[in-house]
Amino acid sequence: MNQFVLQHGKSAEMLHFPHILELGMKKNGFIQQNTFPTTAMVGLRIYHIIEGRFEWRINHQLYVFYPGDVALIMPHTPFGCDNDVLKIGSFSWIHLALKKQDGYILPGKWSGLSEVEAAAIGKILYLNNQPILSRFEEAGRIIKCIYTELSEMEVAYQARVNHQVDELLIQITRKMTRQTHSTRDFPKTFTQLEVLLRQDLAHQWTVEEMAGLVGMGTTLFTEKVKSYSGFSPINYLINIRISEAIKLLKRADISVTDIALDTGFYSSQHFSTTFKKLTGYRPSEFRKNHLRNI
Amino acid sequence: MECIITIELGTNGIRVFAYDLRGGIIASMKGHYTTFHTEPDHSEQDPEQIFITTLFVLKNILNEHIHPKKYKVASICFCASMHSVLAVDKHGNPIGNAITWADNRAKKEAQELRHSLPGKKLYEITGTPIHPMSPLLKIAWIGHHDAKRFNNTSKYLSIKSYVIHQLTGEYMIDYSIASATGMLNIHTIRWEDDALDYAGITADQLATLVPVFTKAGKLKKAYQQSLRLPADTKILIGSSDGCMATLGDGIKKGEPKASITIEDSGAVRVMGPTVLKDEQMRFFNYLLVDNCYVSGGPTNNGGNIFEWFTRQFGEFTNPFDIESSMQQLLEEVVNVPIGSDGLLFLPYLLGERAPIWNANARGAYFGLNIKHERRHFIRATIEGILYEIYSIGKTLSEQRSTNSLSLNGSFGTIPFCSQLVADIFSKPVEVRQHFHSVSYGAYLLSATEMGIYPSLDDAAPAVDAPDIFKPTAAHHAIYADYFGIFEKLSNKLSDEFEAIGNLQQKYAHPIK
Repeated sequence: MNQFVLQHGKSAEMLHFPHILELGMKKNGFIQQNTFPTTAMVGLRIYHIIEGRFEWRINHQLYVFYPGDVALIMPHTPFGCDNDVLKIGSFSWIHLALKKQDGYILPGKWSGLSEVEAAAIGKILYLNNQPILSRFEEAGRIIKCIYTELSEMEVAYQARVNHQVDELLIQITRKMTRQTHSTRDFPKTFTQLEVLLRQDLAHQWTVEEMAGLVGMGTTLFTEKVKSYSGFSPINYLINIRISEAIKLLKRADISVTDIALDTGFYSSQHFSTTFKKLTGYRPSEFRKNHLRNI
Repeated sequence: MECIITIELGTNGIRVFAYDLRGGIIASMKGHYTTFHTEPDHSEQDPEQIFITTLFVLKNILNEHIHPKKYKVASICFCASMHSVLAVDKHGNPIGNAITWADNRAKKEAQELRHSLPGKKLYEITGTPIHPMSPLLKIAWIGHHDAKRFNNTSKYLSIKSYVIHQLTGEYMIDYSIASATGMLNIHTIRWEDDALDYAGITADQLATLVPVFTKAGKLKKAYQQSLRLPADTKILIGSSDGCMATLGDGIKKGEPKASITIEDSGAVRVMGPTVLKDEQMRFFNYLLVDNCYVSGGPTNNGGNIFEWFTRQFGEFTNPFDIESSMQQLLEEVVNVPIGSDGLLFLPYLLGERAPIWNANARGAYFGLNIKHERRHFIRATIEGILYEIYSIGKTLSEQRSTNSLSLNGSFGTIPFCSQLVADIFSKPVEVRQHFHSVSYGAYLLSATEMGIYPSLDDAAPAVDAPDIFKPTAAHHAIYADYFGIFEKLSNKLSDEFEAIGNLQQKYAHPIK
């Protein structure tokens, strides 16, 4: 493969793909100044190392990349080299225009993913804080395939490019969860999941999203959670929601409606019924009992 | 038809059992709650999550198994793991999370107190080893490092006291849990002034001290309704998991028999009318009822060490399936000679409590030669874990002779392990398969309170007939030879343990 850069708005090939901002491949044969300035951009950037060893700074942290590794740069995250100098080697990349909103990084209408699956992927991408995916040749193959499709424009190439972008997002998400969670330690994985859930309790978590976060299929996930915790995933989540709500009810400075929404109930009625079913108290009664001197 | 409900608030979650009055299990359910390690050495749990999980599981078992079959709940009896600390304000609301037994933040306090004369005295008075697990030291730590929590705390509770306070509004702590706080004089059964002074608190900052048979108040109205239980449902304060495991194992006061638990961690315990005195402060002495003490030594390194080994070196043909991976490893060791052809394992991956009481202790494989294979490592790992259990038993037998053992806990009751324990100790081992001795102990306590048994001593023989593993003399001789070296290494390496522990801390990478 020779060097190339295709950019949306500049290259004719990219006309039908507003969601692909840039696609490229670079062979750097010698070291020169100011070839790789630090930038922060709107979309999601994916770099795949083909040869050489690169030291890149992502979000102010230095990482080392070897052939086969992938650098993943989230929207609005600064990315570049120290002294703006690029080392010798080659890599390919793709920039995708994915929207960051309400706790998701979502693919657009071009994607063939169902709403539920797109949400699960969007959630995992959003929560990801690892910029390095090691030994991930698959990403390089997909970028190459997208380039070939764009150059040759065979029948149904548009569909195939979009399929490949979906495929890339799916593979990245799977790779990410596998890298974070060993398949040998469910207790640890489950604890990490609980920490994530508690950080964003207002979110309407689905079982697909929870399972996706730890890199499992929903069936296996549900079965594992049930045998390990004694509860279905949704009931376990309700337990966390109610525990957190109790904590907030014991403070005088936050309204019951706000507590309901903060802890992930879709309305104060929903909160009130769930709470009373379990504890026998309406949230307001519970609060009254705990704010007076017992 | 009446039934007895037992609730065990354990380290990893809650277990609720329903027994008929003869001790037959009607149903059981569990619910997990998480331990958070927000900082190295910290182990905390969310008190509201524990309470809600308790309520949830209790409600489920009542609705699915008890109410439909028209059982009347005669009593609900609690037991819980020891050494937890939860600070609450004047409204009874938690300040911060509950600190569990495994929390090590009070290391420095423990080290200083352990090597002082007042420390020795406190150990003799309270029966609780001077160790970061002890609430005495945890509260002192809060006083030294968390002034805001210290100044706003109206009471320091155990997790069990908190859950009961939520249900009935009473602040109570039973003798067993209290005797594991490091602040109870176990000879006079009163809070000890010197301990309170050391912790920097007053007796009114602790819950009311009551015997294990005490009724802990009435269920609040709302809980009567949501659980569909009558107002006069008896709530028993109950005891601690350690004391209940011993009772539930059928151990009688003064009987020459020890109870061994090997779950994640482990313990060897005896029950008697007097305490064990020990110059080296190696044993705990906890109070079950007047003139009845459960004494013994705890280890940090039990089944969790074999789980660690499995996670590193097991096959995991199915993702997350640790049970079958452990099973596979166990199948491989059957063909390894006893004593693993001279490969020894020191299991101190988590430091160690009894008998060496060395937080700096670390693990090691010793005696490797070119003929050793992977399967030797598997067997050596299991043998090492059980040598450590034996070393606790051996130090105990200097003071109390035992003729037989009763073994419980998920790791100990694996038949392969049970046979090893019999051979290493050279004593017959009783095992009750699929039997939960902690909960059964709580059933015996409830049944005794109801008058089904005249006393706890009469309740113990009610425990079912066990399987017996008989020791083989030839095997014991080999284990005894190797144990000699194991014991020497544990003591000999203490300087190097400290040195490596310090370096591990010095070069530790912050958790990302």
